Amino acid sequence: MIKDLTINASLREGFGKGPSRRLRAQGMIPVAVYGEEKPPVAVAVNAKEIAAILRSETGHNTIFNLAVPQENGEAESATVIIKDWQVDPVKGQLLHADLLRLSLTTATQVNVSIEIVGEPVGVKTHGGLLDLQMREVQIECLPGDIPEHIQLDVSDMLVGDHAKVADLICDRERITILTDENLIVAGVLAPRLAEVAEPSAEEAAVEGAEPEVIKKSEE
Amino acid sequence: MAEYKIPKRVKYRRQHRGRMQGTAARGAEIAFGEYGLKALEPAWITGKQIEASRVAITRFIKRGGKVWIRIFPDKPITKKPAETRMGKGKGAPEGWVAVVKPGRVLFELEGVDEKTAREAIRLAAQKLPIKTRFISRKDQEGGGLV
Repeated sequence: MIKDLTINASLREGFGKGPSRRLRAQGMIPVAVYGEEKPPVAVAVNAKEIAAILRSETGHNTIFNLAVPQENGEAESATVIIKDWQVDPVKGQLLHADLLRLSLTTATQVNVSIEIVGEPVGVKTHGGLLDLQMREVQIECLPGDIPEHIQLDVSDMLVGDHAKVADLICDRERITILTDENLIVAGVLAPRLAEVAEPSAEEAAVEGAEPEVIKKSEE
Repeated sequence: MAEYKIPKRVKYRRQHRGRMQGTAARGAEIAFGEYGLKALEPAWITGKQIEASRVAITRFIKRGGKVWIRIFPDKPITKKPAETRMGKGKGAPEGWVAVVKPGRVLFELEGVDEKTAREAIRLAAQKLPIKTRFISRKDQEGGGLV
Protein backbone atom coordinates (compact mmCIF):
# COMPACT_ATOMS: atom_id res chain seq x y z
CA MET A 1 0.00 0.00 0.00
CA ILE A 2 1.61 3.26 -1.11
CA LYS A 3 1.15 6.18 1.25
CA ASP A 4 1.88 9.79 0.49
CA LEU A 5 4.08 10.16 3.54
CA THR A 6 7.62 11.45 3.90
CA ILE A 7 9.78 10.76 6.92
CA ASN A 8 12.89 12.80 7.54
CA ALA A 9 16.06 10.97 8.46
CA SER A 10 19.37 12.30 9.75
CA LEU A 11 22.76 10.76 9.10
CA ARG A 12 24.24 8.94 12.07
CA GLU A 13 27.49 10.21 13.52
CA GLY A 14 28.37 7.48 15.99
CA PHE A 15 27.91 3.73 15.78
CA GLY A 16 27.71 0.90 18.28
CA LYS A 17 26.05 0.39 21.64
CA GLY A 18 26.73 3.76 23.33
CA PRO A 19 25.74 6.15 20.49
CA SER A 20 22.69 3.95 19.71
CA ARG A 21 21.49 4.16 23.30
CA ARG A 22 21.98 7.94 23.36
CA LEU A 23 19.98 8.13 20.13
CA ARG A 24 17.11 6.11 21.65
CA ALA A 25 17.12 8.35 24.74
CA GLN A 26 16.34 11.28 22.38
CA GLY A 27 13.34 9.43 20.90
CA MET A 28 15.18 8.38 17.73
CA ILE A 29 16.12 4.90 16.53
CA PRO A 30 19.02 3.68 14.38
CA VAL A 31 17.80 2.62 10.92
CA ALA A 32 19.61 0.83 8.10
CA VAL A 33 18.50 1.70 4.56
CA TYR A 34 19.54 -0.65 1.75
CA GLY A 35 18.47 -2.16 -1.58
CA GLU A 36 18.20 -1.15 -5.24
CA GLU A 37 21.93 -1.88 -5.73
CA LYS A 38 22.90 1.28 -3.87
CA PRO A 39 25.26 1.31 -0.88
CA PRO A 40 23.63 0.86 2.55
CA VAL A 41 23.16 4.01 4.63
CA ALA A 42 22.96 4.24 8.43
CA VAL A 43 20.47 6.91 9.48
CA ALA A 44 18.44 7.94 12.53
CA VAL A 45 14.66 8.35 12.38
CA ASN A 46 12.02 9.44 14.89
CA ALA A 47 10.80 6.24 16.60
CA LYS A 48 7.21 7.50 16.87
CA GLU A 49 6.92 7.95 13.10
CA ILE A 50 8.02 4.36 12.38
CA ALA A 51 5.79 3.06 15.21
CA ALA A 52 2.80 4.90 13.72
CA ILE A 53 3.42 3.18 10.36
CA LEU A 54 3.64 -0.25 12.02
CA ARG A 55 0.38 0.38 13.91
CA SER A 56 -1.48 1.55 10.79
CA GLU A 57 -3.87 -0.71 8.84
CA THR A 58 -1.25 -1.44 6.19
CA GLY A 59 1.40 -2.13 8.87
CA HIS A 60 4.88 -3.14 7.78
CA ASN A 61 3.78 -3.31 4.13
CA THR A 62 3.29 0.47 3.99
CA ILE A 63 5.36 2.07 1.23
CA PHE A 64 6.51 5.58 2.11
CA ASN A 65 9.22 8.11 1.27
CA LEU A 66 12.35 8.59 3.30
CA ALA A 67 14.28 11.86 2.96
CA VAL A 68 17.95 11.01 3.49
CA PRO A 69 20.32 13.99 3.79
CA GLN A 70 23.39 13.91 1.55
CA GLU A 71 26.85 15.21 2.37
CA ASN A 72 26.31 18.23 0.10
CA GLY A 73 23.37 19.29 2.29
CA GLU A 74 20.57 18.28 -0.07
CA ALA A 75 18.04 15.58 0.81
CA GLU A 76 17.54 12.55 -1.44
CA SER A 77 14.12 10.92 -1.34
CA ALA A 78 13.86 7.12 -1.49
CA THR A 79 10.75 4.93 -1.70
CA VAL A 80 11.06 2.39 1.10
CA ILE A 81 9.24 -0.40 2.94
CA ILE A 82 9.89 -1.70 6.47
CA LYS A 83 11.82 -4.94 5.92
CA ASP A 84 12.49 -5.82 9.56
CA TRP A 85 12.29 -4.28 13.03
CA GLN A 86 13.35 -5.03 16.58
CA VAL A 87 11.27 -4.44 19.69
CA ASP A 88 12.34 -4.60 23.35
CA PRO A 89 10.75 -7.85 24.63
CA VAL A 90 9.71 -6.30 27.96
CA LYS A 91 9.14 -2.58 27.38
CA GLY A 92 7.73 -2.97 23.86
CA GLN A 93 9.80 -0.03 22.58
CA LEU A 94 11.05 0.05 19.02
CA LEU A 95 14.84 -0.49 19.00
CA HIS A 96 15.89 -0.68 15.35
CA ALA A 97 14.44 -0.92 11.85
CA ASP A 98 15.61 -2.03 8.42
CA LEU A 99 14.19 -0.13 5.45
CA LEU A 100 14.36 -1.59 1.95
CA ARG A 101 14.54 0.72 -1.06
CA LEU A 102 11.94 -0.20 -3.69
CA SER A 103 11.39 0.50 -7.35
CA LEU A 104 7.69 0.95 -8.10
CA THR A 105 8.14 -0.80 -11.46
CA THR A 106 9.86 -3.95 -10.19
CA ALA A 107 8.03 -6.85 -8.52
CA THR A 108 8.89 -7.37 -4.87
CA GLN A 109 8.36 -10.18 -2.35
CA VAL A 110 6.47 -9.42 0.88
CA ASN A 111 4.56 -11.27 3.58
CA VAL A 112 0.86 -10.39 3.80
CA SER A 113 -1.45 -11.36 6.64
CA ILE A 114 -4.44 -13.63 6.08
CA GLU A 115 -7.86 -12.23 7.01
CA ILE A 116 -10.51 -14.79 7.97
CA VAL A 117 -13.95 -14.01 6.54
CA GLY A 118 -17.10 -15.48 8.09
CA GLU A 119 -17.66 -18.07 10.80
CA PRO A 120 -17.42 -21.75 9.82
CA VAL A 121 -20.64 -23.81 9.95
CA GLY A 122 -18.69 -26.39 11.94
CA VAL A 123 -17.98 -23.79 14.65
CA LYS A 124 -21.42 -22.15 14.61
CA THR A 125 -23.61 -25.26 14.70
CA HIS A 126 -21.36 -28.15 15.76
CA GLY A 127 -19.21 -26.42 18.36
CA GLY A 128 -15.91 -27.06 16.54
CA LEU A 129 -12.76 -24.96 16.87
CA LEU A 130 -11.25 -22.98 13.99
CA ASP A 131 -7.55 -23.80 14.05
CA LEU A 132 -5.30 -21.40 12.12
CA GLN A 133 -2.11 -23.09 10.89
CA MET A 134 -0.83 -20.09 8.93
CA ARG A 135 -1.35 -16.40 9.52
CA GLU A 136 0.54 -14.87 6.62
CA VAL A 137 1.68 -15.84 3.13
CA GLN A 138 4.56 -14.72 0.99
CA ILE A 139 3.53 -13.02 -2.23
CA GLU A 140 5.24 -11.39 -5.21
CA CYS A 141 3.74 -8.36 -6.92
CA LEU A 142 4.42 -4.77 -7.88
CA PRO A 143 4.74 -2.50 -4.82
CA GLY A 144 1.55 -0.68 -5.82
CA ASP A 145 -0.45 -3.93 -5.81
CA ILE A 146 0.45 -5.09 -2.27
CA PRO A 147 -2.89 -5.79 -0.55
CA GLU A 148 -3.65 -4.97 3.11
CA HIS A 149 -4.77 -8.56 3.72
CA ILE A 150 -5.45 -11.69 1.70
CA GLN A 151 -8.88 -13.06 2.52
CA LEU A 152 -9.93 -16.63 3.26
CA ASP A 153 -13.63 -17.46 3.30
CA VAL A 154 -14.23 -20.13 5.95
CA SER A 155 -18.02 -19.81 6.25
CA ASP A 156 -18.75 -23.15 4.45
CA MET A 157 -16.28 -25.22 6.44
CA LEU A 158 -17.59 -28.18 8.44
CA VAL A 159 -15.86 -30.08 11.24
CA GLY A 160 -12.86 -31.87 9.74
CA ASP A 161 -12.61 -29.56 6.70
CA HIS A 162 -9.38 -27.80 5.78
CA ALA A 163 -8.62 -24.72 3.68
CA LYS A 164 -5.39 -24.59 1.70
CA VAL A 165 -3.25 -21.74 0.35
CA ALA A 166 -4.91 -22.38 -3.04
CA ASP A 167 -8.28 -21.33 -1.47
CA LEU A 168 -7.04 -17.81 -0.65
CA ILE A 169 -8.95 -15.04 -2.41
CA CYS A 170 -6.73 -12.57 -4.27
CA ASP A 171 -6.19 -11.12 -7.73
CA ARG A 172 -4.08 -13.94 -9.21
CA GLU A 173 -3.25 -11.95 -12.33
CA ARG A 174 -1.42 -9.30 -10.37
CA ILE A 175 -0.35 -11.25 -7.28
CA THR A 176 1.71 -14.46 -7.26
CA ILE A 177 1.52 -16.47 -4.05
CA LEU A 178 4.96 -17.94 -3.36
CA THR A 179 3.91 -20.09 -0.40
CA ASP A 180 3.20 -23.73 -1.39
CA GLU A 181 -0.43 -23.91 -2.61
CA ASN A 182 -0.98 -27.29 -0.90
CA LEU A 183 -0.16 -26.10 2.61
CA ILE A 184 -3.08 -25.96 5.03
CA VAL A 185 -4.09 -22.49 6.22
CA ALA A 186 -6.96 -23.34 8.55
CA GLY A 187 -9.02 -26.31 9.70
CA VAL A 188 -12.07 -26.90 11.84
CA LEU A 189 -11.27 -29.23 14.74
CA ALA A 190 -13.85 -31.45 16.41
CA PRO A 191 -15.15 -30.15 19.73
CA ARG A 192 -13.46 -31.47 22.84
CA LEU A 193 -15.70 -33.90 24.69
CA ALA A 194 -14.14 -33.26 28.06
CA GLU A 195 -11.30 -31.28 29.54
CA VAL A 196 -8.11 -32.64 27.97
CA ALA A 197 -6.40 -34.76 30.58
CA GLU A 198 -3.02 -33.17 30.15
CA PRO A 199 -0.35 -34.13 31.13
CA SER A 200 -0.62 -37.71 29.94
CA ALA A 201 0.11 -40.57 32.33
CA GLU A 202 3.45 -41.28 30.64
CA GLU A 203 4.79 -37.78 30.97
CA ALA A 204 3.17 -36.81 34.24
CA ALA A 205 5.17 -37.08 37.36
CA VAL A 206 3.85 -37.76 40.78
CA GLU A 207 5.80 -35.68 43.27
CA GLY A 208 9.19 -37.23 43.92
CA ALA A 209 9.33 -39.32 40.72
CA GLU A 210 12.61 -39.12 38.81
CA PRO A 211 13.36 -39.40 35.10
CA GLU A 212 15.73 -41.92 33.64
CA VAL A 213 19.38 -40.80 33.68
CA ILE A 214 21.20 -41.29 30.35
CA LYS A 215 24.24 -43.48 30.98
CA LYS A 216 27.59 -42.80 29.27
CA SER A 217 27.38 -45.95 27.15
CA GLU A 218 24.02 -44.78 25.71
CA GLU A 219 25.34 -41.38 24.51
CA MET B 1 -0.64 -35.15 44.78
CA ALA B 2 -0.16 -32.77 41.95
CA GLU B 3 0.86 -34.22 38.62
CA TYR B 4 2.92 -32.19 36.22
CA LYS B 5 5.25 -32.70 33.29
CA ILE B 6 8.92 -33.53 33.83
CA PRO B 7 11.63 -34.60 31.36
CA LYS B 8 11.54 -38.26 30.37
CA ARG B 9 15.33 -38.66 30.32
CA VAL B 10 18.09 -36.45 31.71
CA LYS B 11 21.85 -36.51 31.34
CA TYR B 12 22.57 -35.51 34.93
CA ARG B 13 20.42 -35.84 38.05
CA ARG B 14 21.51 -32.48 39.52
CA GLN B 15 22.29 -29.07 37.93
CA HIS B 16 24.04 -25.88 39.02
CA ARG B 17 21.68 -23.05 39.91
CA GLY B 18 22.89 -20.65 37.22
CA ARG B 19 22.04 -16.96 36.76
CA MET B 20 18.96 -15.30 35.28
CA GLN B 21 20.44 -12.17 33.71
CA GLY B 22 19.05 -10.19 30.81
CA THR B 23 15.82 -10.60 28.90
CA ALA B 24 14.36 -13.47 26.91
CA ALA B 25 16.19 -13.75 23.59
CA ARG B 26 13.75 -16.30 22.18
CA GLY B 27 10.13 -17.19 22.88
CA ALA B 28 9.28 -13.53 23.46
CA GLU B 29 6.52 -13.33 20.81
CA ILE B 30 3.17 -15.00 20.31
CA ALA B 31 3.84 -17.90 17.91
CA PHE B 32 0.75 -20.14 17.96
CA GLY B 33 -2.36 -18.53 19.47
CA GLU B 34 -4.18 -15.21 19.50
CA TYR B 35 -3.58 -14.11 23.11
CA GLY B 36 -0.78 -14.74 25.57
CA LEU B 37 0.75 -14.15 28.97
CA LYS B 38 4.16 -12.50 29.09
CA ALA B 39 6.58 -12.59 32.04
CA LEU B 40 7.92 -9.22 33.18
CA GLU B 41 10.33 -10.53 35.82
CA PRO B 42 12.89 -13.34 35.99
CA ALA B 43 11.94 -16.42 38.04
CA TRP B 44 12.08 -20.15 38.49
CA ILE B 45 8.54 -21.29 37.67
CA THR B 46 7.89 -24.70 39.20
CA GLY B 47 6.09 -27.52 37.42
CA LYS B 48 3.31 -27.24 40.00
CA GLN B 49 2.80 -23.54 39.24
CA ILE B 50 2.69 -24.20 35.49
CA GLU B 51 0.14 -26.97 36.01
CA ALA B 52 -1.97 -24.78 38.34
CA SER B 53 -2.04 -22.02 35.69
CA ARG B 54 -2.95 -24.49 32.94
CA VAL B 55 -5.82 -25.89 35.01
CA ALA B 56 -7.06 -22.35 35.77
CA ILE B 57 -7.15 -21.50 32.05
CA THR B 58 -8.79 -24.77 30.87
CA ARG B 59 -11.42 -24.64 33.65
CA PHE B 60 -12.38 -21.08 32.74
CA ILE B 61 -12.56 -21.53 28.98
CA LYS B 62 -14.34 -24.91 29.44
CA ARG B 63 -14.85 -26.61 26.08
CA GLY B 64 -13.81 -23.86 23.70
CA GLY B 65 -10.34 -22.69 22.90
CA LYS B 66 -6.88 -24.16 22.61
CA VAL B 67 -4.02 -23.59 25.06
CA TRP B 68 -0.28 -23.70 24.46
CA ILE B 69 2.23 -23.91 27.32
CA ARG B 70 5.42 -22.24 26.10
CA ILE B 71 7.67 -23.16 29.04
CA PHE B 72 8.79 -26.56 30.31
CA PRO B 73 10.24 -27.38 33.75
CA ASP B 74 13.51 -29.00 32.66
CA LYS B 75 15.78 -27.88 35.51
CA PRO B 76 16.03 -30.14 38.58
CA ILE B 77 16.02 -28.42 41.97
CA THR B 78 17.63 -30.04 44.99
CA LYS B 79 17.04 -29.51 48.67
CA LYS B 80 18.90 -30.65 51.77
CA PRO B 81 16.80 -32.27 54.51
CA ALA B 82 15.84 -30.12 57.52
CA GLU B 83 18.33 -29.83 60.41
CA THR B 84 21.22 -31.18 58.33
CA ARG B 85 24.76 -29.85 58.74
CA MET B 86 26.38 -28.24 55.70
CA GLY B 87 28.54 -30.38 53.44
CA LYS B 88 28.19 -34.09 52.71
CA GLY B 89 27.30 -33.42 49.10
CA LYS B 90 24.44 -31.77 47.23
CA GLY B 91 20.87 -32.41 48.39
CA ALA B 92 18.32 -34.74 46.87
CA PRO B 93 16.29 -33.66 43.78
CA GLU B 94 13.04 -32.16 45.03
CA GLY B 95 11.26 -30.74 42.01
CA TRP B 96 11.53 -29.24 38.55
CA VAL B 97 11.49 -25.62 37.42
CA ALA B 98 11.47 -23.64 34.16
CA VAL B 99 13.96 -20.76 34.02
CA VAL B 100 11.97 -17.72 32.88
CA LYS B 101 13.51 -14.40 31.87
CA PRO B 102 11.61 -11.11 31.42
CA GLY B 103 9.76 -10.97 28.10
CA ARG B 104 9.14 -14.72 27.83
CA VAL B 105 5.68 -15.79 26.63
CA LEU B 106 4.40 -18.33 29.17
CA PHE B 107 1.00 -19.34 27.79
CA GLU B 108 -0.93 -18.82 24.57
CA LEU B 109 -4.64 -19.10 23.93
CA GLU B 110 -6.85 -19.31 20.83
CA GLY B 111 -10.49 -19.89 19.92
CA VAL B 112 -12.08 -17.63 22.56
CA ASP B 113 -13.12 -13.97 22.55
CA GLU B 114 -10.82 -11.35 24.05
CA LYS B 115 -12.90 -10.87 27.21
CA THR B 116 -12.77 -14.60 28.04
CA ALA B 117 -9.08 -14.75 27.17
CA ARG B 118 -8.28 -11.80 29.46
CA GLU B 119 -10.09 -13.40 32.40
CA ALA B 120 -8.52 -16.84 31.79
CA ILE B 121 -5.07 -15.28 31.55
CA ARG B 122 -5.71 -13.22 34.72
CA LEU B 123 -6.63 -16.38 36.63
CA ALA B 124 -3.49 -18.12 35.32
CA ALA B 125 -1.29 -15.15 36.26
CA GLN B 126 -2.53 -15.35 39.85
CA LYS B 127 -0.90 -18.78 40.18
CA LEU B 128 2.54 -17.45 39.21
CA PRO B 129 5.18 -15.81 41.45
CA ILE B 130 5.98 -12.97 39.02
CA LYS B 131 4.49 -9.86 37.43
CA THR B 132 3.01 -10.63 34.02
CA ARG B 133 1.18 -8.87 31.18
CA PHE B 134 -1.65 -9.88 28.85
CA ILE B 135 -0.57 -9.65 25.20
CA SER B 136 -2.41 -10.19 21.92
CA ARG B 137 -1.38 -10.98 18.36
CA LYS B 138 -3.17 -7.85 17.16
CA ASP B 139 -0.77 -5.70 19.20
CA GLN B 140 2.18 -7.79 18.05
CA GLU B 141 1.31 -7.36 14.38
CA GLY B 142 1.21 -3.63 15.00
CA GLY B 143 4.92 -3.78 15.73
CA GLY B 144 4.64 -5.37 19.19
CA LEU B 145 4.79 -1.89 20.62
CA VAL B 146 3.31 -0.92 23.97
